Amino acid sequence: MIPFFRSVFASPRHFILLLAALWVGLALAEKRSERHNISRDVLSNLVYYGVFSYILGGRLLYALSNFPAFAKSPLSIFSLNIDLFDPVAALAAAVIVGSLFGYRQKLPLWSTLDALTPLLAMLAVGLSLSHLAAGTAFGSPTELPWGIELWNATRHPTQIYGLIASILIFSLLWFRPAASPAGSDFLLFTALSAGACLFLEAFRGDSTLVLGQLRLSQVIAWFVLAGTFVALERLRTVEKTQDKESASPA
Amino acid sequence: MQRRITYFLVLALGLAWIFISADRSGESTSGRVPAPQQGFLAPEFELKSPAGEITKLSDLRGEAVLVNLWATWCPPCRAEMQSIEKMYQEYKEQGFTVLAVNMTYQDDPSAVMPFVREQSLTFPILLDETGAMAKAYQLRSLPSTYFIRRDGIINEIVIGGPMSEALLRTRIEDILD
Repeated sequence: MIPFFRSVFASPRHFILLLAALWVGLALAEKRSERHNISRDVLSNLVYYGVFSYILGGRLLYALSNFPAFAKSPLSIFSLNIDLFDPVAALAAAVIVGSLFGYRQKLPLWSTLDALTPLLAMLAVGLSLSHLAAGTAFGSPTELPWGIELWNATRHPTQIYGLIASILIFSLLWFRPAASPAGSDFLLFTALSAGACLFLEAFRGDSTLVLGQLRLSQVIAWFVLAGTFVALERLRTVEKTQDKESASPA
Repeated sequence: MQRRITYFLVLALGLAWIFISADRSGESTSGRVPAPQQGFLAPEFELKSPAGEITKLSDLRGEAVLVNLWATWCPPCRAEMQSIEKMYQEYKEQGFTVLAVNMTYQDDPSAVMPFVREQSLTFPILLDETGAMAKAYQLRSLPSTYFIRRDGIINEIVIGGPMSEALLRTRIEDILD
């Protein structure tokens, strides 16, 4: 089953899985957008601007950071090679353009992030599937019976662990009743994803190490988790204060 | 208050897990195992050129190597050869070499040398007559290109093509560093 899946979606076809996740995630986010008082059209436009700036920003910033190489062959900027791309810069470009769009449209930050949460959760599912197809984000060697043969060793199926975690997170968020305060869907998604990363990274065979032995992704996930808890507490405190104010007699 | 205690406990457990699961054995340094994946040692191969000379990948340790898997019937493979040749000429003095491995077992052997002459390619051409190299590199698409560092570790893999000159330049400069 896994070898068949990996041959069908072998790199670079694994990007199809990410595109499919984007498409399904956007459809689901649009379906739920009214719940967060965000218009379906505005949400679609926000995502389209984000995707467009992700693609454009990733290529342009890659070209700028590798200017000498592109100066010698400027037409390469129009190349169809998807490897001429800086994903971190692309994400930054998408966030900046998305924020500017949200600011111009006067979108409430937390409600907008809540409305985007189904899309983000579905993208996490797509990302795990694409890792499984491409054999990236692979596990460390193991003798456990559910280990998979990958890169000349029996390894922890970390892509499948990630897939299960992301499906569970998506299901939990999708089927839970409408929550208040605004922002809690997004923060719950962030906390669960950071928690899953913190736990599952331990089984990875390709971790970047810091301070000799610590896994960088776990350290980052821990700080994200801590930040999310602080944000959740702050949201709840603000909500309580507003409830008290509205309940007190004029 | 109870929620804050839960948050604190989760963070404390998380912190403990980071230290418990720290990589003491060096499992994350995948470079010692040969596998056709970024971060691993490039799988060894020993192939003949059309003239019959044998080239072994491990003999090129110390040089930055671009291994390109190609076939004459593959349009993107043909299209990127001129760019690869240009880069070979530009960087060979800095310890860069190209091994263009023709997938002879699924190609017309008599078409290889006329194509090499037509394109005026000067880098080494090797023939995978049995498909052993394709199997070792788990070939799924042509062209497939492996950028191998001087220490024999695969730094980057580019599946598909044709590769642009800028892509080749950035990746070659990475493996020459």
